[in-house]
Amino acid sequence: MADRNFSVGRTLIYAALVLMAVWYLAPLYVMLTTSLKSLDEIHSGNLLSLPHHFSLDAWFDAWGTDCVGSEDCTGAGMKGYFVNSLKMMVPAVLISTLIGAFNGYILSMWRFKGSDTFFMALLIGTFLPFQVVILPMAQVLAKLGIENSTGRLVLVHVVYGLQFTTLFFRNYYVTVPGELVKAARIDGAGFFRIFFKILLPLSIPTIMVCLIWQVTQIWNDFLFGVVFSSGEAQPITVGLNNLVNTSTGVKHYNVDMAAAIIAAIPTLFVYAVGSKYFVRGLTAGAVKG
Amino acid sequence: MGALSIRNVKKSYGDTHILKGIDIEIDKGQFLILVGPSGCGKSTLLNMIAGLDDITSGEIAIGERVVNKLSPKDRDIAMVFQSYALYPNMTVRKNIAFGLDIRKVPKAEQDEIIGRVAKTLQIEHLLDRKPQQLSGGQRQRVAMGRALARNPSLFLFDEPLSNLDAKLRVEVRSEIKQLHQRLGTTIVYVTHDQIEAMTLGDRIAVMKDGEVKQFGTPQQIYDEPANMYVAGFIGSPPMNFIPCTLAEIDGRAAVTVDSGSGSHTLRLGPLSEAQRAFVGKSIVLGIRPEQLTDPASAHSDNPDLQEFDAIAEILEPTGPDTLVTLKLNGARAVARCHPSMALHTGVKMHLALDPSKAVMFDPATENRLA
Repeated sequence: MADRNFSVGRTLIYAALVLMAVWYLAPLYVMLTTSLKSLDEIHSGNLLSLPHHFSLDAWFDAWGTDCVGSEDCTGAGMKGYFVNSLKMMVPAVLISTLIGAFNGYILSMWRFKGSDTFFMALLIGTFLPFQVVILPMAQVLAKLGIENSTGRLVLVHVVYGLQFTTLFFRNYYVTVPGELVKAARIDGAGFFRIFFKILLPLSIPTIMVCLIWQVTQIWNDFLFGVVFSSGEAQPITVGLNNLVNTSTGVKHYNVDMAAAIIAAIPTLFVYAVGSKYFVRGLTAGAVKG
Repeated sequence: MGALSIRNVKKSYGDTHILKGIDIEIDKGQFLILVGPSGCGKSTLLNMIAGLDDITSGEIAIGERVVNKLSPKDRDIAMVFQSYALYPNMTVRKNIAFGLDIRKVPKAEQDEIIGRVAKTLQIEHLLDRKPQQLSGGQRQRVAMGRALARNPSLFLFDEPLSNLDAKLRVEVRSEIKQLHQRLGTTIVYVTHDQIEAMTLGDRIAVMKDGEVKQFGTPQQIYDEPANMYVAGFIGSPPMNFIPCTLAEIDGRAAVTVDSGSGSHTLRLGPLSEAQRAFVGKSIVLGIRPEQLTDPASAHSDNPDLQEFDAIAEILEPTGPDTLVTLKLNGARAVARCHPSMALHTGVKMHLALDPSKAVMFDPATENRLA
C-alpha cells in the first residue's frame, strides 16, 4: 500500500503544477529583475539572470521624472497617471457598487410589473463588448457636455459597471428570504430603512465581490481610458502604453518594467487582500444557513 | 362588530381566482385557525389581513376600522412567520427593539417592554445573542417575543411550527396555547396540520380552493362536518366513507354492509327530513375509526351498539390502540381496537359499531344530510 504522500500520481501532479507556476511567473520574474538592473547590465546580460548591482534608479525614474512620449524632457512620471487612475477608480467603484446594491434590492424584494424584462435587458448588457458602447457613449457625453476627463471616465465606468454590480446584488438578494422584508414592513420599516439597516449589513460578501470586480475592471481598463480622456488626465494604463511605445532614443527597459509593475500594484494588492472574500461572496447563499 | 371581520373578500391575479369570497367574523380574544392543504389560499388570506398583499374586492376590518387601504404598520398587528424572519445582523434585544425604535418609543420604556416580554417567554438569557446562535425553538420564541412587544390588537401566525421537529412542535404548541389563555389576545393562525387546528382553535375555518368549506368550533367541525371534504380532513385517521343504500326500518335509518364475511344490517339513528328523502337511494355513510372497535372496549351499556364480523386486512399498532383495516362494501375502513384484541391479519374479527355519531352524505353534492 503506497504511502498517500508519495504516490507516483501525486508527484506527477505536483511536478506539472510547479512547471505551470514557473512558466506563468517567469514574465513577472523577468520584469522584477530587469527593473532592478542598470541599462548596461540589461544590454550585456542574460534575460533571466539576477541583477549584479541592485539599483532602484529605474523605479524613481518611472515614478517621478521620466520622459513620457518624447525625448529630452522632464515631464511627469507614473505618479500623475497613478493619481488620475485613483481619482477615476474610487468614485466609479463606490457609486456603481451602491447603485448596483440598490438595483438588486428593488429587483428582488420589490418586484414591479416589467421588472423581469428590465433585468433581462440589463443582463444583455453584460454580454456587450466594450467596443460596441464607445460610439454611442461618445455621442451621449458630447450631448451632456462633460469635458472633464476624469468626470467622463467615472460616468462611463459607472454606467458600464452597473449591469455587473446589479447582477451580483440581485442574485444574492433573491436568496434572502422574502419573509425578512415582510417582518420589517410589519414592524414599520420603510423602503430605505429596510435597505440600509437590514439588507446592506447582510451583504458584506457581495459588496466585497463587487469592489474586487470593479476595481479590477476599472483600473485595468485601457479602451475607455484611451478614447474618453486626453493629455495629462489620462489613466495609468494609457500612460504606461505611451511610455512603453516611445521609440525615439534608447529604450529604458528598466524604467518600462518598473512602470508596468507600478501600474499592476493596486490590482495585485486587492487580489492579495480580498481573494478569499471573492470566493466567499460568490458562494454566499449557496448553502442554506 | 368583532375583533376581525372579513367580508366577501376576493383575490385574483388576472383570471386566476385565489380567494373566491371569504366571510369570517371573530370576537376579541378568540383564536381563529385557517386550515387547509397547500394552495387553498390560507396564507394569501393571512397576507391580506396583514396588509402585505392587496385585496381585489371585499373588506377587512380590524376592530371597528376598515383596514383595506392601510399599510401593515398602521394596522396594529404583529406577525410570526414559519421561518422566524429574525434580522440576522442584530442581537435578540435589537430584534425585539427594532419595531419599537421605529415608533420612537422612549428608551426606558423599551427596556421595560423587552424585559417583560423576555420574562414571559423565558428568553432573558438569550437577549445578547444573535439569531445564528439560537436553536429553532429559541428562535421561534424570539419571533413571538418580537410580536408580543408591539402589544397589537391582532396576532398573526403563519405556520409557525412547521420548521420544528415533532417533539418541539408539541411543546411550542402548548406554549402558544398557554400564552393565549394568559394574555387573552386575538389570534389568527394558519396551518396545514389538523391536529394544531383542533387543539389550539376557538374557531376553525377549513379552506379549500379559495373557499371556506366550514366555519365553526372544533367540536362542531368534528361531530357535524358540513361536507365530505371537512369530514375527511379533520381527524386522524380520517373518517371512513362507506357507500351504501339507505333503508328505513321501524322509522329509523338502516344500511346493509358487506364486510367480506357476510352481509349485516346496521341500524342507525332516527331519520331526519333531509335523510328521509334519500331512502332507497345511494348515500355515503361516515363513521369515525373510534366508533368502530372490539366489543370489549365499546361502551357495553349502549343499547344501540351494533355487532358484526369482518376480516382484518392490515394491522397498525400505535401503542394505545391498533388500527385495523377492513373492507365494508368494498371500501377501506379503519377501526380502532385494543391491541390485545387485534393480533393477526387475515383473521375474522368481531367488531362493535356505535352508530350514534355516524353521519350521512349525499354522494353527488358531498354535503352532509343533516
